[in-house]
Amino acid sequence: MDIYLLEAVINGLLLGGVLALLALGLNLIFGVIDVVWIAYADLVMCGMYAVYWLHVAGWPLWAASLAAIAGVAVLGVLVHVLIIAPVLRAPPINQLLATGGLLFFLQSFTTLLFGTDFRNIGVRLPIIEMGDIFISFARLLAFGFALVGAVALYVFLKRTYLGVAIRAISQDREIMGLMGVDQRRIYLVTSLIGGALAGLGGCLLVLQYDVHPFLGNTFGPLIFMICVLGGLGNMIGGFVASFIISQIISIGGYYYSTEWAYVLAFTLFIVLMFIRPRGILAR
Amino acid sequence: MQTSRRALLKASAATLAGAGLGGRIARAEEPPIRIGVIYDLSGPFAAAGSVACAHGAQIAIDLVNEKGGVAGKYKVEPINADSQSKVDAAINEVERLLGQENVDIVLGVYASAAAVPLAAKVDEHKKILWITTAISTAVFKDRNLRYVFRGQIHSDQYGEAAASFIAENAKAKLGVDPKDVKLAIIHEDGPYGVGVAEATERFSKEKTVQVIMKEGYSAAAPDLSSLVTKLKRARPDIISQVGYNPDITLFLRQAREAGLRFKMLIGNGAGYSQLDKLRATFGKDIDNFCNIDPVPAQLLKAETLAPGLGDLVKIMVDRYRAKTNAVDVPPHVSMGFNQTWVLLNNVLPVAKQKYGGFDAEAVRKAALEVDIAPGGTIQGYGVKFYPPGNQLAGQNERSTPVVMQFAGEHITVVWPSNIKTQDPVLPLPSSSIYATG
Repeated sequence: MDIYLLEAVINGLLLGGVLALLALGLNLIFGVIDVVWIAYADLVMCGMYAVYWLHVAGWPLWAASLAAIAGVAVLGVLVHVLIIAPVLRAPPINQLLATGGLLFFLQSFTTLLFGTDFRNIGVRLPIIEMGDIFISFARLLAFGFALVGAVALYVFLKRTYLGVAIRAISQDREIMGLMGVDQRRIYLVTSLIGGALAGLGGCLLVLQYDVHPFLGNTFGPLIFMICVLGGLGNMIGGFVASFIISQIISIGGYYYSTEWAYVLAFTLFIVLMFIRPRGILAR
Repeated sequence: MQTSRRALLKASAATLAGAGLGGRIARAEEPPIRIGVIYDLSGPFAAAGSVACAHGAQIAIDLVNEKGGVAGKYKVEPINADSQSKVDAAINEVERLLGQENVDIVLGVYASAAAVPLAAKVDEHKKILWITTAISTAVFKDRNLRYVFRGQIHSDQYGEAAASFIAENAKAKLGVDPKDVKLAIIHEDGPYGVGVAEATERFSKEKTVQVIMKEGYSAAAPDLSSLVTKLKRARPDIISQVGYNPDITLFLRQAREAGLRFKMLIGNGAGYSQLDKLRATFGKDIDNFCNIDPVPAQLLKAETLAPGLGDLVKIMVDRYRAKTNAVDVPPHVSMGFNQTWVLLNNVLPVAKQKYGGFDAEAVRKAALEVDIAPGGTIQGYGVKFYPPGNQLAGQNERSTPVVMQFAGEHITVVWPSNIKTQDPVLPLPSSSIYATG
């Protein structure tokens, strides 16, 4: 096998891990609450800023990361209470406008707070060399956490009482309400977990990317496309779609060009939406 | 460097308040000249040089106003607008400036992607667009614009500078003929990146330099690792990158992580001209990288400029540093300052005195009469605009770029040879993490 092609495949896998982690939280929230958080990637950006500033203030990276995850988890709850809950029964377009407004708010607010500069945390993780192939440890870490996050979430949803309640709500929120499940509590827990996943994404991305107020624009559309491709709310579908898209971007970019790789990815997305409009793994 | 939108808007508000206060006094004498000033004060372009341009333009306006205004009596009132690093926002803001604020002159424009449609729109309205920064040749080429002017260099000149620099140094520094130098060109896919990349390819071929790869990408791409892998496979001697940010930092980081090696990297302004930011991210890794742009005025020897310009540069640098606490003063400050200074000191006084006012027609006629010899502006080049009917009508025919090299926290000029301040370090020394061998 062409050694450079192998490197492209590995890069695709590692990129897929990052995208899968981001898609996981967005899918969870949509699956349970039935609202698309358009501003999800901007919560990730908030997590990156939290890690950056805490680390700059002298916190060790692990402590800054834990604090960022907790902070963004709380932010997720606040988003639900202040923005989502009031429009929960409103038409979907109103919900989209509300979370779209949140996106602009977060971008503008962080611009006012931190300026437009690109900020780098300055942490250099080692690089793994295998002959001519180099693998970034930061990306490998993100990949590992994405897998662990996905498995942990799966176990939580399958094996715990709260997880079963969350799945039940996502399947039939009206009936579960009648059966005594506290919907509001489930929504808050879901928002907390979704926010924590965004915080975790921020902790991992800050090792690979500069943070700036508009970082969400880089990942937001791609994550949304992945979630739709996998079937909105379908976490396994989103996970698989992340790796399909990332491999197209990476291998397509290797054989053709970076621009064409995105054209290919979006073309595949459109074609699959015609064939399987509810997502590739929809039953 | 702290250059927040908040700080800039605060400064703008203070200026406006000042202009409003002073305006009441001025109105008793002369009404102020209202000029629309549009830059990307938010979004990714803000930190890639646009805010620095806005600071430069504002410093020029402040200096003129402190001396009584244009021709000593007409204060300048900037009407600031934020194009938000978005073409549609730029168009909407310029429509507001022209339609609601009723300005006759719009100054600024950082991104070429915005400059191309704005040039057509403003020209159609028969108002003046005074471009300080956007460099795409396509803004003017074969468009026969009558009301759009640009003292700044254009993208073809970046390509010419890169090719000449490589060809002139190939034998002496790399030990090979230009035809044996392998060049890879990577660029963001907007008018800026495409324009510079095409010119670099064209001029490199003229100089017989081998262009082994040319590839575009979106400046907002979340991953450039496949591009890095292709470069590893192609093994270029020199890489020319045309980018803003965050694409530059993403590429350099992924290149380092993937073990990409080369003999030289040549940047082409924008993100590569923000040395403070690059050093904050990459430290010494970027030492000895080259960058093409109009020269930052503070790098020129004062004795090579017209009398008084050396002092003017010092004031500009001092004020910029006072505003931002910056160590490095990027070329964008000089661009914003220089073009604004020419408009306020060489065009508007003539428009008033010879053509009776500051309306677009008077300013257009005055602009076409500008004839500043080389050495007559703070960036060293002269100013004379190509006349109507010329393929590049409205573009300055005397502007010139330089090739700079990063030397620690400072910058040296390494091309053209007649004004260089240091012999180029080429190839990258073995201490560089990107160096071959």
